[in-house]
Amino acid sequence: MRRPLRWLLPGLLLAAPSGAMDASHHHHGTATGGVVMNENADRLPRGCRAVSADVAVTVRAGRRYAADVPGAMFGMSLHEVAVPRCSRVTVTFVNEDEVRHQWMVHGLPKYLYPAGMFHIEAMGGGQETGTFIAPAEHRTYLIHCDLAQHMEKGMRGQLVVGEGSGDLWGVIGISDAFYRAAYLPGPVGAWILAGLAAATGFVAAARLRRDR
Amino acid sequence: MAGRVRGRWTWLAVVAVALLAFPPQWYPQSLRLQLTRWFGAAEYRPLPASAEAAAAEVEPFCPEDVAGRRAAAEIEGVIIQPSLGCVVDDPYLIAAVVRGTNRVSAETLARSGLTSDAVEKGADLDGDGDPDEIHIRLEVAELNGGSPVSDQPVTRYPIAPGVTPGLWVFAPKLVGMAVENFESNEARDALRLPSPAIRVEQGDVVRITLENTHYMPHTLHLHGADHGFVDSSGEGNDGVPLTSELPVMPGQARTYELTPRQAGTMFYHCHVQPHVHVQMGLQGLFVIEENRPDNHLQTLNLGAGEVRVRSASSRERFDAEYDLHYLDLDRELGERIQAHNDPRLITRAMHREYDVTDASVDYFTLNGRSFPYTFRESLVHSRPNSRAKLRVVNGGSKGLALHTHGHKFTVTHEDGVEIPEAVRARRDVVWLATAQRADLALEFVDDGLNAYGPGIWLYHDHQNRGVTTDGIGPGGNISAIVDSGHLDDAGWPRTRGVSWEPYFTEAYYRKEVPVWESYAPGVFGDPGPDWALLTRLAVLGLSLGALGALVVNGAWRR
Repeated sequence: MRRPLRWLLPGLLLAAPSGAMDASHHHHGTATGGVVMNENADRLPRGCRAVSADVAVTVRAGRRYAADVPGAMFGMSLHEVAVPRCSRVTVTFVNEDEVRHQWMVHGLPKYLYPAGMFHIEAMGGGQETGTFIAPAEHRTYLIHCDLAQHMEKGMRGQLVVGEGSGDLWGVIGISDAFYRAAYLPGPVGAWILAGLAAATGFVAAARLRRDR
Repeated sequence: MAGRVRGRWTWLAVVAVALLAFPPQWYPQSLRLQLTRWFGAAEYRPLPASAEAAAAEVEPFCPEDVAGRRAAAEIEGVIIQPSLGCVVDDPYLIAAVVRGTNRVSAETLARSGLTSDAVEKGADLDGDGDPDEIHIRLEVAELNGGSPVSDQPVTRYPIAPGVTPGLWVFAPKLVGMAVENFESNEARDALRLPSPAIRVEQGDVVRITLENTHYMPHTLHLHGADHGFVDSSGEGNDGVPLTSELPVMPGQARTYELTPRQAGTMFYHCHVQPHVHVQMGLQGLFVIEENRPDNHLQTLNLGAGEVRVRSASSRERFDAEYDLHYLDLDRELGERIQAHNDPRLITRAMHREYDVTDASVDYFTLNGRSFPYTFRESLVHSRPNSRAKLRVVNGGSKGLALHTHGHKFTVTHEDGVEIPEAVRARRDVVWLATAQRADLALEFVDDGLNAYGPGIWLYHDHQNRGVTTDGIGPGGNISAIVDSGHLDDAGWPRTRGVSWEPYFTEAYYRKEVPVWESYAPGVFGDPGPDWALLTRLAVLGLSLGALGALVVNGAWRR
């Protein structure tokens, strides 16, 4: 098995919106098993003089990869794929579940990738390989599985090109959920804790004042 | 000494202001009568005028049929009848499920959006010209769900303008995204409520694979359809975790088998925590058609509704056929998948904190929509002297008192079993208990019994709640039986009554629009505020606050 290569550039990931929400339209491919859409192994993005590197990444998907992540149901072996600018990226997407999964990147240049999208879909138990060339800009793109709720329940990742443009929210192992539930020991327990804390604070303040 | 006097005057002044500010309309009645004796009636102060109704965005009643889906079509040799409906299914999808997704051209398959194994058709086992090996694959989709990065429901599916209850559905196996496109949050066409109506032939060797794409365990239970308790390999086949098998876990798949010996209108649903999962939308019609030669069935009818490619037996006896799937929904149940993202919290909220014995229902859907969207998709079209078959299921938790205006129908089958002709009668209300099915025959004969003639005749649950959307009417499962003379070219009924514009606004179903505003503006509108009263209350509040301050201040000094 090929060992997944992973470029994690040490530079700071600047906090800036990713801007990956470009308008796009969905095109269906034919489905004889899996689908690779908008593959591009040779056309260079604007600003690239040549392919800077060849990167091969294997991403495995399935429930197994969420087993150690509390509160997730579906997972990927890699939630961040970092590649140099203008690199040729070959993604092998291995689906270890018995249902469909997808590895989709959005917001890529539309003159190369219709709807700004590079998309691999693998049927249950299947695997697909596809190639695209990363753009010339430092930017972070959303990777996700667009089956209903799969992104929400764990299959959300980011493609960091060059230094990227800041982490996306809610990427497992990378960034927190934007909307995070309150995990408290029930409403009564929480109030008792808050009350105890307040009482302790009050007593402490009163004693301090008396001592002075 | 001087300070004390000034303090006393301050007290008196504040008390006087408070008394004067107190609204006279709230004085005790005896005091008011006494004041009237002394000073006479108070002078006329007009009541507040009606507030201007806010302009609300009106959705198009009938979206344009850009793709020409309503027209007659012949695709892959499948003849698809034209439809008078406004919004109808994609003919390529229909052709693919009639012919089999493994048997159509790559182009048709791509246009259908289905995977090549979504509806596989195999050998003609009885040699009568149609395939009898059928393999259907279903996924599970969540509509209007929660998200860790958005406060909006994701994979949005409105049942009525702005109404997006959390839903779970069985869905055909589709290629690509769950939403229309990356910029959109709207569920794609084929992902919708209700779960698709499934049609197979009597004697077909049917396999249904449940590919559980959802984050909770589910099963498939074939209610009323003849199936073995175990399958050919000895595994449980009833879909009941309590008795026959473990549920299908997220990411897993399981195949159910049946070779139904009896025809009839049946039902399928999830049987995991069924008091919650069935109510969430994991249920669909399961129709077993009588065996006939060259009987090429529309294996899936997405969103139920009109059957564009009918069975041989339907063509023998009827001129049109409709699948009508009724389902009521509890808003408070659906909200639980939106309030949390963590499956553990959702599971706890749905299966332990939610108490169905204390629950009430808020939404009433017909084929996955409530009024006015029902008029886009679920009109029954009448043609003089023709006959229509309606296959009705009540998937809701409450009963259904289905009533037709302008027509009396005959119940020909109940729970898929034929009723002897001798005991059939024409009627205009039929009661369907939860999970019950009835096949209705409508004869559009203008004789005062079967029909009263052409028109736009409503049909709906006659229980009062059923014609509302969370208590707002008109809403719920109201739809209509309409003749072509009362339809415009787009398939929209030429109604003669009130404007429908308010019903196509989200504001109406948010309870923000006075119900008769469109034809009696202002008369029954919302009154504006009484500024004089508000001013008095503000002064009263200020003076009471000042009084409080004086009391505290005084007490402090002493």
